[in-house]
Amino acid sequence: MDAENRIARARDGRAEALVELYERAGYVRVEPAILQPADIFLELSGEELRRRLYLTSDASGRELCLRPDLTIPTCRAHIEKNAPVPATYCYLGPVFRDRGGGAGEYAQAGIESLGRDDREAADAECLSLALESAKHFGVAKPAIRMGDVGLFSALVAALDLPPAWQRRLLKDFNRTGTLAADLATLKQTPAAPVQAGVLAALQGSDPQAARAFVADLLSIAGISTVGGRTVGEIAERFLEQASLGAASGLGAEATAVLERYLSIEGDPDEALAALRKLAKDAKLELAATLDRFEQRTGFIAAGGADVSAIRFATAFGRALDYYSGMVFELYDPKDRVKWPLIAGGRYDRLMSLLGAPSPVPAVGFAAWITELEEAGGAR
Amino acid sequence: MSGPVIIGVPSKGRLMENAHAFFRRAGMTLTQPRGGRDYRGTVPEIEGVEIAYLSAAEIAGNLAQGAIHLGVTGEDLVREMIADAERRVLLVEGLGFGHANVVVAVPQAWIDVRTMRDLDDVANAFHAKRGKRMRVATKYVNLTRGFFMRHGIVDYRIVESLGATEGAPATGAAELIVDITTTGSTLAANGLKVIDDGVILRSQANLVASLAASWSAEARATARALLDRVAAERSAHTMREVRSRFKAADAELVAEAKGRFGAIAPLGGPTSSGMLTLLCPPQRVHELAIFLREEGAETVMVASPEYVFARENPLYEALVSRLGQ
Repeated sequence: MDAENRIARARDGRAEALVELYERAGYVRVEPAILQPADIFLELSGEELRRRLYLTSDASGRELCLRPDLTIPTCRAHIEKNAPVPATYCYLGPVFRDRGGGAGEYAQAGIESLGRDDREAADAECLSLALESAKHFGVAKPAIRMGDVGLFSALVAALDLPPAWQRRLLKDFNRTGTLAADLATLKQTPAAPVQAGVLAALQGSDPQAARAFVADLLSIAGISTVGGRTVGEIAERFLEQASLGAASGLGAEATAVLERYLSIEGDPDEALAALRKLAKDAKLELAATLDRFEQRTGFIAAGGADVSAIRFATAFGRALDYYSGMVFELYDPKDRVKWPLIAGGRYDRLMSLLGAPSPVPAVGFAAWITELEEAGGAR
Repeated sequence: MSGPVIIGVPSKGRLMENAHAFFRRAGMTLTQPRGGRDYRGTVPEIEGVEIAYLSAAEIAGNLAQGAIHLGVTGEDLVREMIADAERRVLLVEGLGFGHANVVVAVPQAWIDVRTMRDLDDVANAFHAKRGKRMRVATKYVNLTRGFFMRHGIVDYRIVESLGATEGAPATGAAELIVDITTTGSTLAANGLKVIDDGVILRSQANLVASLAASWSAEARATARALLDRVAAERSAHTMREVRSRFKAADAELVAEAKGRFGAIAPLGGPTSSGMLTLLCPPQRVHELAIFLREEGAETVMVASPEYVFARENPLYEALVSRLGQ
């Protein structure tokens, strides 16, 4: 018992020391509420999160949950206090996730940096603090995986795809893993949809004419409109499909570019060279985006990290909707711990989604204490 | 020392009547010693069986926890309420009643939405334009989540609904629903339509075995006796007994009857005097009778067997193989 207690204390000490390290770096320690409104997490992360949440409700029937992470609670607290930006926060405390067995309660430390406009420098600082955190636990050279959701958005925008396809690709990229199916569909000439007649009739119409047309269709069929989508929205989608139909499948060129893009990986310098070549070959307007990528790599190197040790993969994403730029995960280099030790990235959209009056650039990471201890050999 | 084998049976309505009829066909008269409001029952024909009258949902829950050994409940409830259902229960047999589909239904006015693929696109656009996810009203939270995930749909929120789900789009509580339907007429009356590939599950009442219950040797023996009757009834139900006697009846003729009409010769044969007993699916009986007469039979008699007890009991064997030793 005594031995166990000593270990527990030592452990706490190590995690405490980590937060002190963050505080010395200028991050303000916060302790957000453990009990959170469930709605926000489900709305932001989707229903897939529900089975991982510990849910409860109050007397009025409002759904509450034990916080599954500290990023959203930290950002919420910031918005509620009307605090000025830039602001930098750090934390240490329990988070609660149902991983299908196990304790369900995990210690997490981390930082959030809100409102810095010098995104590339902020990204680099975030990564270098994550690396320092790993080192703090004795993991001097973690395996570093990196991706960039923003780069993919920029590519899709530069490809000039129909809006429906842009949305779809971005959604599936965020989920990771199903893009191959999307690309296969992109290549095919779509079968004539059942509503081909409707689409043909709508081709070249303006939105107002389309809306009137759909309203007519509905009234002829005796269908009353119920809830949800408006006639305008239905018409708009028909128009979108009509324009898609005219293209009769997307060019093999665009598909080839996407496939080539998604196969690029290497250290950030190698990846950048391949990306610049791709942009040049395919005549894509990506120079500004790639310049920022290069800048960020420069800041990372200046921070003392070994850039050649970073495995950057264009196909690497984290399965959370709100990431918008660089994402990274640090792993046990000896591969004994299967989960990431530290994970984070840029999430420029989150603050607006949470109700911040104007957009707030943001970046941060979360460190899993138990995993770090295991990887560092403390257990 | 071991307790009885407990069977969960629906405690009211058509499900209860149908379940009772099912057991009666299998030669088991479920009785409630203290009358219709008794929540415990017995089966006089088999020793060591106790009936627990519960709601269909409670039966699914009790099966998952192993509080009852067997139960009659809908597959929809098994799949919805039991996480990891494959590992925790065994669907022994579909019972041919309580048919209903769990479906995805959207407003009829969404004339641009026919497939799950369309729905994905619409959900995606809805989220992008309104900054809110589309809401799905349902009591089938888990089935919905699994199905939507398989179709790659992420831009939605579930609104739990415990009744009159089909009214949710009209009241503005949700944009679409996932619900159970038999004929679709309630959906149509509420201005909703089923998505073409939106059938999540074709459900019916099932005899379900719990793999988590305590299956002592005695309990297994009792289950064997019980499933023996169920299997015998099923075989009898799906077969007609065809008898005749004529000289030309020989092994070759039996082989032809097997090959052409799906008949079996459960008693072997024919005998030296040409006595022949076959079992044959009901819909093939006439063809088989014509065939036998053409081969020389004077008379062909057809009857419904009450039970067909075979040495092999596929229902019990499936259960035992899942339970292990």
